[in-house]
Amino acid sequence: MKKALLNKFIVVFAVSALSACAVNETATVKVEGQTVTQVIESNSGVLSDNLQIIDTHTGYAGDLLKAQVSIKNDSGDGLSFRYKFKWLDKAGFEIGVDGRPWTPISITSFETRSIQAVAPNASATTFNIQVQN
Amino acid sequence: MKLINITTIVLASLVLVACSNNPKISYGDATGVETTNTDFGSTDLQTIAAKLVDDLVSFPPIVKLTADNRPIVFVDKIKNKTTEHIDTESITDTIQTKLLQSGKFRFVDMTAVKQIQDQLQFQMDSGMVDPTKAVAFGKQTGAEFMLYGNMSSIIKRNSDTKDVYYKFTLKLVNLETGILEWASEKEIRKTGEKSFFSL
Repeated sequence: MKKALLNKFIVVFAVSALSACAVNETATVKVEGQTVTQVIESNSGVLSDNLQIIDTHTGYAGDLLKAQVSIKNDSGDGLSFRYKFKWLDKAGFEIGVDGRPWTPISITSFETRSIQAVAPNASATTFNIQVQN
Repeated sequence: MKLINITTIVLASLVLVACSNNPKISYGDATGVETTNTDFGSTDLQTIAAKLVDDLVSFPPIVKLTADNRPIVFVDKIKNKTTEHIDTESITDTIQTKLLQSGKFRFVDMTAVKQIQDQLQFQMDSGMVDPTKAVAFGKQTGAEFMLYGNMSSIIKRNSDTKDVYYKFTLKLVNLETGILEWASEKEIRKTGEKSFFSL
């Protein structure tokens, strides 16, 4: 009985300690003006192997840049991750640093979901979307 | 038995050493996802503000209204209908800041009325301010719109799981006509399960 309890404790302790040390990765997609260029920067490839940016739309709400990104889960498992939009002006300066939160999202296997955001002000010309697990 | 104990100690030490680089006190990302428990948290506040501001500034009639005009808005208190103590003023402060920074709206700050009044009184009556440079009474601009709303929650639980649903509704009313010009909602669902340790 004691041995079983001890083993259970070891497993739980090891799992929780490993979770605490989990490494985040970031994938970035850039859309610049009329030219849409997608650059996926990934540290480990975990997310870029399973997630695909299948569509990017940009438009304007008045003079504010509006973005929509469709993300597809290419894996056979549901994925839970977080994303964040970053907005840049013409000179490449980030607008409203830390102005947007990491937003949690879950996508079931082979499902596509769209995420949207509006620029914080009219000086935004480019946006990045960062994905983190 | 002795071997198991030694193995346990070695394994625990290895895991601790692997994580020992983390200091006890550290600065985190203020915009990071916070999942300490199912109570209302910073991630909820930030996602509510981001969603509602996006909705407001991109709503076609509002886009038209703010195309060549910066309407003046007054922010009323948000009614907290949840069972939690939530600082709703903090949510409206974030929304107000984002709207101001968008360059689309201007605000009258009702929380500073007393201080403004005291300052004007000081300029008029103290004898310390040059009367030609003192700010005159009765020249302030009135708000054209009022931003107000509600926050409610539904909490359900069983022995293992707690499910919390939050709904934040924000409305913009034209003070002159009484017409509701815009409304939007943000819903949040959080589910907490009892940890293995507490079983």
